[in-house]
Amino acid sequence: MHLFAGNQAVKILHDISFEVSAKQVLAIVGPSGSGKSTLLGLLAGLDRPTHGSIHIHGTNISTLAESAMAHFRRQHIGYVFQAFHLIPTLTALENVALPLDLQGIATGEERAKTLLQAVGLERRFHHYPIQLSGGEQQRVALARAFISQPPLLFADEPTGNLDSATGNLVIDLLWQLHEQHDSTLILVTHDTVLAARAQRILTLRDGAIVNDTSPPS
Amino acid sequence: MIPLSLKLAWRETAHSWSRFVFLFLCIALGVGAIVAVDLFATNVEQAILGDARGLLGGDIELSWRRTMTQKGQDVLDSLSARNIVVSHVTELAAMVAAESRQPAHQGTKATSQLVELKALDSFYPLYGSLIVEPAQPTKQLLAPIQSGCQRLPCFGAIAQKSLLIRLNLSLGSELRIGQTNFIITGILVKEPDKIATAFSLGPRVMVSREALDSTELVKMGSRIHERYRLQLPSSSHLERWLGELRGRLSPEGVQVSSYRDAQPRLRRFLDQLTLYLGLIGLTILWVGGIGVACTIQGFITQKTPIIATLKTLGADSSQVIHIYLTQSLLLGSIGSLAGGILGTGLHQGLPLLLQGIVPETFPIEPTLTPILRGIAVGSLATLSFSLWPLLAIRSVSPALVFRQDVDRSTFQVKPDSWAVKLTSSLKGWWNDRVQRMSSLLIAGCLLGLAIWQAHSLSLGLFFTGAFLVGIFALLGGTSVLFWLLRHIHFPQQLLLRHATSNLQRPGNFTKAMTLAIGIGVMLMTTLITVQHTLLALIEDQIPENAPSFFFIDIQPDQQALFKHVLETQIPGSHFSLVPVVRTRLTAINGQPINPQDHKGKRNGWYFTREYVVTTFQSLPKDNLLTQGEWWENTQRQNFMDESQSQKIFPWVSVEEDAAKNLGLSLGSTLTLNIQGVPFRTKVRSFRRVDWGSFSMNFFMIVEPGSLDGAPITYIATARVPRTVEVPLQQEIVAAMPNVTAINVGDVLDNIAKIFRQLAMGIQALALLCLITGAVVMIAAISINRYRRLHELAILKALGGSRGLLLFSLGTEFGLIGGFAGLIGLGLGYLLSWSLLYFFFDLTWAINLSVLFIGLLLTIALTLLTGFLGTYRLLGFPPLSVLRQE
Repeated sequence: MHLFAGNQAVKILHDISFEVSAKQVLAIVGPSGSGKSTLLGLLAGLDRPTHGSIHIHGTNISTLAESAMAHFRRQHIGYVFQAFHLIPTLTALENVALPLDLQGIATGEERAKTLLQAVGLERRFHHYPIQLSGGEQQRVALARAFISQPPLLFADEPTGNLDSATGNLVIDLLWQLHEQHDSTLILVTHDTVLAARAQRILTLRDGAIVNDTSPPS
Repeated sequence: MIPLSLKLAWRETAHSWSRFVFLFLCIALGVGAIVAVDLFATNVEQAILGDARGLLGGDIELSWRRTMTQKGQDVLDSLSARNIVVSHVTELAAMVAAESRQPAHQGTKATSQLVELKALDSFYPLYGSLIVEPAQPTKQLLAPIQSGCQRLPCFGAIAQKSLLIRLNLSLGSELRIGQTNFIITGILVKEPDKIATAFSLGPRVMVSREALDSTELVKMGSRIHERYRLQLPSSSHLERWLGELRGRLSPEGVQVSSYRDAQPRLRRFLDQLTLYLGLIGLTILWVGGIGVACTIQGFITQKTPIIATLKTLGADSSQVIHIYLTQSLLLGSIGSLAGGILGTGLHQGLPLLLQGIVPETFPIEPTLTPILRGIAVGSLATLSFSLWPLLAIRSVSPALVFRQDVDRSTFQVKPDSWAVKLTSSLKGWWNDRVQRMSSLLIAGCLLGLAIWQAHSLSLGLFFTGAFLVGIFALLGGTSVLFWLLRHIHFPQQLLLRHATSNLQRPGNFTKAMTLAIGIGVMLMTTLITVQHTLLALIEDQIPENAPSFFFIDIQPDQQALFKHVLETQIPGSHFSLVPVVRTRLTAINGQPINPQDHKGKRNGWYFTREYVVTTFQSLPKDNLLTQGEWWENTQRQNFMDESQSQKIFPWVSVEEDAAKNLGLSLGSTLTLNIQGVPFRTKVRSFRRVDWGSFSMNFFMIVEPGSLDGAPITYIATARVPRTVEVPLQQEIVAAMPNVTAINVGDVLDNIAKIFRQLAMGIQALALLCLITGAVVMIAAISINRYRRLHELAILKALGGSRGLLLFSLGTEFGLIGGFAGLIGLGLGYLLSWSLLYFFFDLTWAINLSVLFIGLLLTIALTLLTGFLGTYRLLGFPPLSVLRQE
């Protein structure tokens, strides 16, 4: 993967090759600037590699056209971000139902209510993001990530903007939903405690995998 | 269930409405201008078509300007027997003499005035109503008066108020017209068959037919306009009657029109006026469109994280574009609705601005259709101008959710030379189907709007082409100036460096601001330059020795008396007295001319107009022979008319433009109708005439002797000193009441007044274009408000005083004003030169004071607009801004 800084090409990731089994929890760790988020973006089909390919469920997502990739994301992928990325002009309920709305599924609101109840936000259906705390916003984001029941979930520093108590609550909910939905979970984190809960840890440094371990359960 | 796109569009709009105020304003101003003009045009249509029978004065009008032939008279006489009501109206210019009231110690003073006289019969008006104060029957007001006049005969007359004001008269005052006295018995309020009063030689006076006969003004060869208005039985077929009457009367020189062709000249004039005003309105809308494009582009840049988020959630680009396009159209529609309301308000003011040009009783009722049309136009313009910036959504990568702090507008991938950029952009455009289709859609919408507004494919294409040339010239000019700025270094001037680099940084919309202001300046410069040149032509360029008075309808037996009066009043004066006959062209090379074939066509009036023909032995001064020979030393006689098997055709010299438009060549034969008698002539030469000399000039001059026996009258010109104008006019009216004296100065003053009024109306609308340009500039500034705030905070934190920051901002906006002013003025001068050279055949001179004042005003406007957009930012404490980082 290359980016250009002026006329100079900068190599971000190189010599990366690994497989993830279904329903596995994979944590990607490494120092800042090591390429964790870039790798997550590539795996999640948000960016395209300049070289190489990424296969998910037998589909080479690196070659998909923009609309096919969007369709693939809708069907297969859920996201949780450090900065929540809720749509500020939609209520909690509408934010959660948004992925289904984009697919034209009319029953989104009912499922959104169930998921919001599951994350403990049954009293916050009609609140806008600005009216919610950071922890509540991340819980809305969690509910949104699972509404399409995606087989693959990506989380980028999901507790990075939260205090530790709220972070723990969010992680518990994340695991709970992951187990309920039988999804594969790939997360990027600085948090060693969180990484330790994963079945497998990839450590990146300067754009390359320097370690691939499975912590003792 | 509300569709997602509509829900998101509405929420986004409600959430950040303040960002869209300028988009809203840009559309509202453009649509407002278009709606105002469209409403005006609809009212014109209503005024003319709604009461078309009233405006023509009948179902059919038969009009002619000479004595009717016996054959024609027979047709006219037969009409009454066929159950048709006929109203006979005669119009002519005449001199009115009156004794006006003076202050008590000065008694009364004799004055005279040129008027438009109209003689009515008892059937007038067949349609519509004549409104007079006091409200008494017309017949009663115009009836003979047995007592009250100093001399007999005496009749009642209805006069326009302006005559009473000019001559200081009132109801009951006495007038003299020709050999008859009149008492003013009524004041004319509304004349049903005349809706505009500006284009007239003088105030209207109405008298009875009996009174006109007694004035003895109508003599052989007099300049009169006869009109027969016909009211057909209700069961009659209009087209059948038109066909029959045209067949029988057109050869007799009678113009036959139906009420559907009422007021053709006024209609054409108002159509042209509304067309030009409409195109100015469209220019305003397109300038506003630049503001729309800037606002959308800025908005999309700010919404990049949300777009990226939507994409991560599975939205593809077309879904996101759909959301923001819905939002743009929603805002555009609301802006268009506001424009409709604004246009209705502006429409109320248009007749005020065009006072004197449009009828006094002009209806100004708003109608729904133009408002709905305006909303549709505004929405279409919003679509056209927002679609291109919205396509940028396609290049927003969902991965930006990880890099939201990166300012995309400053992120340059592989900076290349402009040639490489242009080539790769063109290649990209060609390979991208969506871009290609969108470009076609945008071009189609804009072109469609222009063609619709211009009512013509060619004019629509020309307008769009001119607009594009203006845009490319402004963009090109700005790029050149940027290049120059990059190569000028200001080593000691940090703030100057900051200001100039601010102009060129990505995402600053400098070019859009220059475009918006520059187009407004271009439009204003063009209008002002053309107006100045034409007004100067009217006011200043009358030659020193040009005649100041024209005298018409002098009878042959009045020649000696006329000379005597003139020599008495202006001893040693030089004047010209020439014989003329009024004719109509009926055939060229033996091929009859059907006036209907040329009606309404460009330059068709060369075939349908009345030709005043004279004879000169020598080529008149101000005339230049361009082809053929003059008959200077030739003496021919024994011309015979056609009825006597004419052997020798008299020669005629024709003005070159008329010859060109009539398709004449040397040796062509022309058949002219003189009072019903055909007069055949052979073209001997073509002349170029200096019409600007204000001397007596003619389209056709025939050789001496050929008019012998024709019903000749004389016209004269004289240069009359200001002090003698009034006494001379009085003397002429007293001695020869049938002679009409036309003061060239008064006529030119009247034309200049109308022209100024017209120019003011057009410029008022064009000013709206500059205002829209200023709104676009504020919109562009507000898009970068936060970045500018951040920079100002840093500069303040580093010790920059408010004065220094003001200097930096002033330099930046002043430079934008300077660029826009220079390029806009340059383009405006170029456009005005083209208009004057190609359309008016006039030379053009650069007016340095207009250039200098224009440039200063543009800089002042941009400085003011820039400060309006940024003054609040200067007041923010730097710490509060930087803490929010």
